[in-house]
Amino acid sequence: MKLPAAKFEEAIKDRPAKKKANDRSLSWLLLLPVLAFFALFNVLPTLWMLGLSFYDYTLTSYKPPSFIGLTNYVDFAKNEQIAASVSRTFIFLILAVIAQTLLGILIGVFFWKNDKMPGRRIALTLFFTPMVVTPIATALFWKLMLDPTFGVINYFLTTWGFERTDFLTNSSLAFPTLIVVDTWMWTPFMALMTLAALGSVPKAELEAAAIDRLPIRRLITSVIWPHAKFILMLGILLRSIDAFKTMDLTYIMTNGGPGDTTELIALSLYRFAFKSFKLGYSSAVSVLLLFIAIALTAIYLYILNAKKKAEQTV
Amino acid sequence: MSKKLAMKPSNERASKITLTFTCWTTAILFFLPIAWIIATALKPKNTVLDIPPKILFVPTFQNLIDALTFSNTLDYFINSIIYSSIAVFLAIFVSFLAAYSFSRFKPAGTDFLMFLLLSTRFVPAAAFVIPFFQLFNILQLKDSFLGLILFYAMFSIPFSVWILKGFIDGVSTKFDETGLVYGARRPHIMFKLVLPQVKSGLVAAFVFNIIFVWNEFLFNFQLGGLKTYGIPVGLFTSITKGGQVDWSFVASIGTLYVLPLALVIYFFQRYLLVGLTFGTVRGEV
Repeated sequence: MKLPAAKFEEAIKDRPAKKKANDRSLSWLLLLPVLAFFALFNVLPTLWMLGLSFYDYTLTSYKPPSFIGLTNYVDFAKNEQIAASVSRTFIFLILAVIAQTLLGILIGVFFWKNDKMPGRRIALTLFFTPMVVTPIATALFWKLMLDPTFGVINYFLTTWGFERTDFLTNSSLAFPTLIVVDTWMWTPFMALMTLAALGSVPKAELEAAAIDRLPIRRLITSVIWPHAKFILMLGILLRSIDAFKTMDLTYIMTNGGPGDTTELIALSLYRFAFKSFKLGYSSAVSVLLLFIAIALTAIYLYILNAKKKAEQTV
Repeated sequence: MSKKLAMKPSNERASKITLTFTCWTTAILFFLPIAWIIATALKPKNTVLDIPPKILFVPTFQNLIDALTFSNTLDYFINSIIYSSIAVFLAIFVSFLAAYSFSRFKPAGTDFLMFLLLSTRFVPAAAFVIPFFQLFNILQLKDSFLGLILFYAMFSIPFSVWILKGFIDGVSTKFDETGLVYGARRPHIMFKLVLPQVKSGLVAAFVFNIIFVWNEFLFNFQLGGLKTYGIPVGLFTSITKGGQVDWSFVASIGTLYVLPLALVIYFFQRYLLVGLTFGTVRGEV
């Protein structure tokens, strides 16, 4: 059975109002499982966290939790260590993301220019592996490789005439070392985003530019950049959010030390909760992080929307 | 471009070769630390910490076999496979329903809900550990597969909904309307007409989330227990197996752990990209 086109349009238009109401209840029915998950595993814990943040509740003190209002917030606002870890986290984030972005763009462009190289898929697999391996595993192995006595890196350093160095316990080297390891892990991600960004430039425009013999600078600024910038920005933002959450790496490699030179905020938070068991206090810090995360998400979506709008106007 | 190519073939060719060389060198440099892990796993146990390090050696599989047969290793692997695959399947199923609803009916507050969903994945995990820890104690879900599966399903839902909505938006509503006109029921439309067209979105969501769940450490460590620990926790606890670090053992588990991931990247390379950009980019790498 086949309906003629005109009749088909009519049939759509005349869908009775009752069906519309059905649609509405169906739309919520379909959302129900996700909403249930969301309520149980997000709203509930978040409210719980908010509630706890107004209490003095330390697991090890055997005192029942007592309501203390905003004291936790006042305490951590005054706590210089937390302020130091937050600013250290941002320094880490900025340096690591800049390094990864520059390197990633460079490598991404190489692979993009060379889309028919032999064994490209295998090369990309090797190159992408660092970013999908759990930080726990990579952190462990970097620790072994950097070991002052058994480490392979120190072996090569000494054979090339450098001094034996303990990267992770040296207070001026530990932080840069973490940035290097993080860059090793996440440069592939930025290269992948670069490939995606370059892939979003329409082939026709590139060909037209090639025919017109557009100088390379104009090619980048007026053909590639307008298309590529959104995905590149997305990549940078995703990386920033992730860098802000860095925890496994510091936990295994340095545990915040030496001193507190590599103490990032996610690790401090973990310690408040599971080493000193100050649940109320760490909840207050969590609420702060929650707000930072929401702000970052908002920026992220703003960029995504800007992309959509730009596509619609093109 | 092709004209240029024809004019200076040798020059063009030389630069292509340099480029290929650079790409391969970069790839190998980045892989080197991982190659070192694998090499350590294949070395005879007594030569692992030799200085100078042995570059050439007769590979042995004894370490891998030892690691696999050591008390809980196999359990950790099986646990990881069980909870990650079931959780991600569950997440994708409910996310598909929700994404369909968001895409087709656009219920009030769609944008806001999508925003809230996504923002939960941007909070440092440590912030949510305490409430989850207490919640799991109260619900008696600690160290249970049910608890971990539900948790990781929630963990995977935000990205899945985003990826799948991007894909369903790309399927014309004409399909739904035609189906309705011919008297098809909604489930039929969703699963027989729309679902087959978003297959690559489903694969992307699956691959992307399984990598995240497979790698997740903190919650598995805090909410799991001896019955439900996965490989990242296995790796973590193996550092201090018997008081002293047994690097052959750690390297072997690390190798067994990396291999499936490398295979996933090799076979699903293009889906990685789709996943990372939430379905907004569908190009090839």
